[in-house]
Amino acid sequence: MKVRGIALVLALMVGVLALGTGARGAGAPVKNPDTFVKLTAGDPESLDPAYQYDTTSYEIVYPNTYETLIEYDGSVLSRYQPILATTVPSLANGLISKDGLTYTFPIRKGVKFHDGSTMTPEDVRYSMLRFMLQDRDGGPSWLLLTPLLGRDSTRDKDKIAVNFADAAKTVTVQGDNVVFHLAHPYGAFLSIVAAWSFVMPKAWAAAHGDWDGQAGTWQKFNNPKLQDRYAFDHIDGTGPFKLQQWDRQAKQVILVRHDQYWRKPARLARVVIKTVNEFTTRRLQLQQGDADLIQVDRPDQSKVEGMAGVTIRDGFPQLVVQVLHFNFKIDATGNPDVGSGKLDGNGIPPDFFTDVHVRRGFAYAFDYAAFIRDGYKGKAEQPNGPIINGLLGYDPTAPKYTHDPAKATAEFKEAWGGKLWDTGFKFTTTYNTGNVVRQVGAQILKDSIESLNPKFKVDIRNLQWSSFLQNTNAHKGTFYALGWAVDYPDPDDFAQPFLGSNGDYPKRNSYSNPQADALIKQAAETTDPAKRTAMYRQLTKIAYNDVPGLYVAQPVGFFVMRSWVRGWYYNAVLGGVDYYPISKE
Amino acid sequence: MTAFVARRLLLLPLVALGVSALIFLLLQFLTPAMRASLYIHDPKQLNALPDLIRKYHLDQPVYVQYWDWLVQVAHGDLGWSETAREPVAAAIRGYFPATLELALYAFGLILVFGVWLGTQSAVHKDQALDQVSRFTSISGASLPTFVWGLLLLMIFYGHFGWFPPGRLSLNADLYVRSGAFHPYTGLMTVDALLNGQVWLFWDAAKHLILPVATLTYYLTAVLVRITRSSMLETLRTDYVRTARAKGLAERVIIDKHARRNALIPVITLGSLLFVGLLSGVVITETVFNYPGIGQWGVNASQQLDIPAVTGFALIFAGLLVISNLCADVMYAIVDPRIRLQ
Amino acid sequence: MNAVHARPVALPAARRPRVGETAWQRTLRRFRSNPLSVLGAGLVAFFVVMALFAPFLAHPTERNPYMIPHSGYASDPRPPGPGHPFGTTEEQFDLFYGIVWGARTAFMVALSVVATAVAIALALGSVSGFYGGRADEIVMRVTDVFLAFPGLILTVVIVAVLGQSVRNAVIAIAVVEWPTYTRLLRGEFLRVRDMEYVQAARALGSGDFRVIARHMIPNAIYPLLILASLNMGGIVITFAALGFLGLGAPPGYADWGQLVSLSHNWIAGTAGDPFTYWYTLIVPGTAIFLFVLGWNLLGDAFRDIFDPRLQGSR
Repeated sequence: MKVRGIALVLALMVGVLALGTGARGAGAPVKNPDTFVKLTAGDPESLDPAYQYDTTSYEIVYPNTYETLIEYDGSVLSRYQPILATTVPSLANGLISKDGLTYTFPIRKGVKFHDGSTMTPEDVRYSMLRFMLQDRDGGPSWLLLTPLLGRDSTRDKDKIAVNFADAAKTVTVQGDNVVFHLAHPYGAFLSIVAAWSFVMPKAWAAAHGDWDGQAGTWQKFNNPKLQDRYAFDHIDGTGPFKLQQWDRQAKQVILVRHDQYWRKPARLARVVIKTVNEFTTRRLQLQQGDADLIQVDRPDQSKVEGMAGVTIRDGFPQLVVQVLHFNFKIDATGNPDVGSGKLDGNGIPPDFFTDVHVRRGFAYAFDYAAFIRDGYKGKAEQPNGPIINGLLGYDPTAPKYTHDPAKATAEFKEAWGGKLWDTGFKFTTTYNTGNVVRQVGAQILKDSIESLNPKFKVDIRNLQWSSFLQNTNAHKGTFYALGWAVDYPDPDDFAQPFLGSNGDYPKRNSYSNPQADALIKQAAETTDPAKRTAMYRQLTKIAYNDVPGLYVAQPVGFFVMRSWVRGWYYNAVLGGVDYYPISKE
Repeated sequence: MTAFVARRLLLLPLVALGVSALIFLLLQFLTPAMRASLYIHDPKQLNALPDLIRKYHLDQPVYVQYWDWLVQVAHGDLGWSETAREPVAAAIRGYFPATLELALYAFGLILVFGVWLGTQSAVHKDQALDQVSRFTSISGASLPTFVWGLLLLMIFYGHFGWFPPGRLSLNADLYVRSGAFHPYTGLMTVDALLNGQVWLFWDAAKHLILPVATLTYYLTAVLVRITRSSMLETLRTDYVRTARAKGLAERVIIDKHARRNALIPVITLGSLLFVGLLSGVVITETVFNYPGIGQWGVNASQQLDIPAVTGFALIFAGLLVISNLCADVMYAIVDPRIRLQ
Repeated sequence: MNAVHARPVALPAARRPRVGETAWQRTLRRFRSNPLSVLGAGLVAFFVVMALFAPFLAHPTERNPYMIPHSGYASDPRPPGPGHPFGTTEEQFDLFYGIVWGARTAFMVALSVVATAVAIALALGSVSGFYGGRADEIVMRVTDVFLAFPGLILTVVIVAVLGQSVRNAVIAIAVVEWPTYTRLLRGEFLRVRDMEYVQAARALGSGDFRVIARHMIPNAIYPLLILASLNMGGIVITFAALGFLGLGAPPGYADWGQLVSLSHNWIAGTAGDPFTYWYTLIVPGTAIFLFVLGWNLLGDAFRDIFDPRLQGSR
């Protein structure tokens, strides 16, 4: 009796709760027509445009809440449209000086910030200086510091090494214009401006405990911690959306329409960007129509295909490259990955990869086609070097390594004075936990090498990010996978990190090539695209001959959204979606 | 009684010290570069590694770091959590009510079902009900929580679309974040009724059903077994036999005598159960993307967010001391023979 | 509604002592009379055989036999078919191989943890229970601190700090389990310490170590064994949970929890059919379930038989 009563009540509750729900298919009415919900896997680190350096933060900051002086023309990265400036500078209209050292941007009038104040050229100057001088460790400030001040940091070790006067004169206000004075000519400067010149109001920043723009105070605001600035979780920009709230508990960012936007206001009233780490949950919410666009990685593609009411847009080459790096000088102390540490068949010596025949052997052994087929479901292309497709200077005719066991064998037979083939080797390759694609790459590498010679042994070890950092910092990695994603769409952004002696990877891997260094410097400083193209083609040849790493994939992006989403377009630099033109119908 | 309670509460700071010392001891195994991974997320930032280590004092000896932390806590500051992007105290204050809500509902259901089923099972020993309940409870203890949770999610959300993951639906969430809603307790179901928004109550309840069901299954199974064996022991004792000999009705015997004494080990387990629940929510919250302290704790641990993990450990230690205290007080109530020492 | 007899319960047929029967035979008979115990023993025996004969049932092809072979690297799992009797999971790891060698992993992990916990318990718990006083206080406070931490969180922290590997997961789980074992043994020691034969041995001048090793441990160890057998299943579940959270065995390692974790992206199937990849979850999930079930039933049976408080009843 009691039991039945309880069961009845429970059944009633379940029934009531289940009311008004159900799967949403095609032709179903649009849910929440003026609110857009996006589900991502990562969460934003900071909303401060001078601090943030990750994709999720970047999506919120640009171009939805903060804007830059010029922006890309939709999907086309080589053309710009004026946004907070009224004209795009060029040599033709004289706004770029002939020596390439001065860029003049006439500033738009009547643009309102989210707080209602009007933007002035002084705000632009302040924002640029703030971006450079905040210079937090591991931040994006080097992007403006390098072309304007000629150095990539305001500090040397922990001491300030820049004085305000030098910094201040790189950005000046002249009437209604803001003028940039570069340290050296830099062909890519406009693309950096397009992606990184965010403008915020000086008065607002100063009123909330940030730098007031004065010479005497800037050092106190240098190198902050995440939580030190008001701008960490508050936004005041000129963009079509303003921040309603960043709720870190609920892991969501809510943007609302900025009605005083200087162009026609956006069509959406509200944008919700929510972090959902579980793919299955994201996918189910898309299926139900509760989410409009979700982040999907390539390996999960089959689970979203054929979903009713959902559109998949595929085939967008990304400005991302996956590379397998050789470490030229491995630290063997306490290093489990080098085996015996000697060329005795049970390990590798610390300079194992300095022999170009070894590197070429690996380059011919790796099965690129299988990697792209299985790691990316065929949706990637094999690059021929660090200058990838979509960048100026990309050379589609340049030679690439292909999977050729015969050539690989020939190279290995010449390696280490011919001894390697008979002695064999053994080492462990590492990849970052959680990265399925790199796991596949590691497997393919192992199988490719081991199939050539039974004395060649490759083991695989996965590392958590913290262990990976430890490993890399101590130069203990042997042969590992890391990629690079675009900061600004110019070949210099890719050439330097891979081939320049001061670049990120060569420094870690103890690789240096003076010829490459000279070319990189020259190409960066030239403004003539034809001359630059020729130099980058030469650099591609160097990468091919010297093979400091294997360039294994340039992935093709795909995006999954409900069919009622309109106005979406692809841009390789954006961290996410440009919500301004979006509507749901 | 008050002296007893006061003395036990004095244990709190000692346990807190011990637990935090344990965490910092584990730090011995971490190099500064590994701890810096909390601040570096992308290969592009690798160059900043040495600077970051210096900036956040990660290369100090562990006892120095521990001392600095103790001093900080003495000033009431639990530190900043990089993973939550909030002060640790604020993160705990924010995440804890969600977990509490989940745990309370689960706890209630577990106690009710566990005790009832265990008692009935003992009374009807070896009969159909007993065998079924024993097998169900044993199989419940054999199935991993996450498998069970994923299955439930697949069927009731993926297929039927009834019970979504998360804590609130989008509209409910936006309403709650707006100024019109007053959070009194932090428990969404309770607050919804206090605010007079019945639709919000149903929304929150809808999101709670699957996580509560997942949590409840395993622990109910455990509690049934324990109640059953405890009840069986009690039913054989002298005073029960005496009561039977005196001719008392079976019902009275069970309700008035046996159950009370069978409850003693159940109380012990009840308190451990509560803290065990707080551990069990970790998997449940991960599967259902429920924004509680379990999910945050796991993320913080995986990313080596030491201030967060330590703050989090303190809270749990405190909860354990308090729940043990409650259990002891309840023993005294249930069985007057037990004296509080 | 009530089937309890009005007079004292008579021993069921299985429990009545038979003439001329040894204690061991009696134990065996009691064991066999309960169908659930037999089922438990059967399941455990099944997995023991599977673990022992793993190299013959699933022939290893990699240098490390615990790494599951994979045919190709395509990410989508394939259903059961020729060459793959249980199908393959993400990245084409063969499920049959994973299940068979996973039995070895399960035993290895569970036995390592239990052995470590019992060893620590024997060392600390005996000292604590035998000498009492200061030593006891210290040990109790230390176990308090460890028990104040929710188990799964502590394991996660330890694995995060030490790094992801089977060995570290074993260490982490052992660190969480040892306090319970220690306290149990200590409790038993307290009980046994005052027994006559122990008093006698001490009075006769036996050294402490001898008394502990020869007299106390053999009498105090049964609850520990019961706990161990009940714990075997729990340890495997914790290890699987670690695998689900991405800590624990590395991907491609033959471990049931790892296989379930590889399935979690696929359990909602494709858009048209939520059950397309059912086998990725059901196959390893069933293996875990049956293993743990077997040990739970077996542990129950041990407790029924060996728990002195329940002698002559039930």
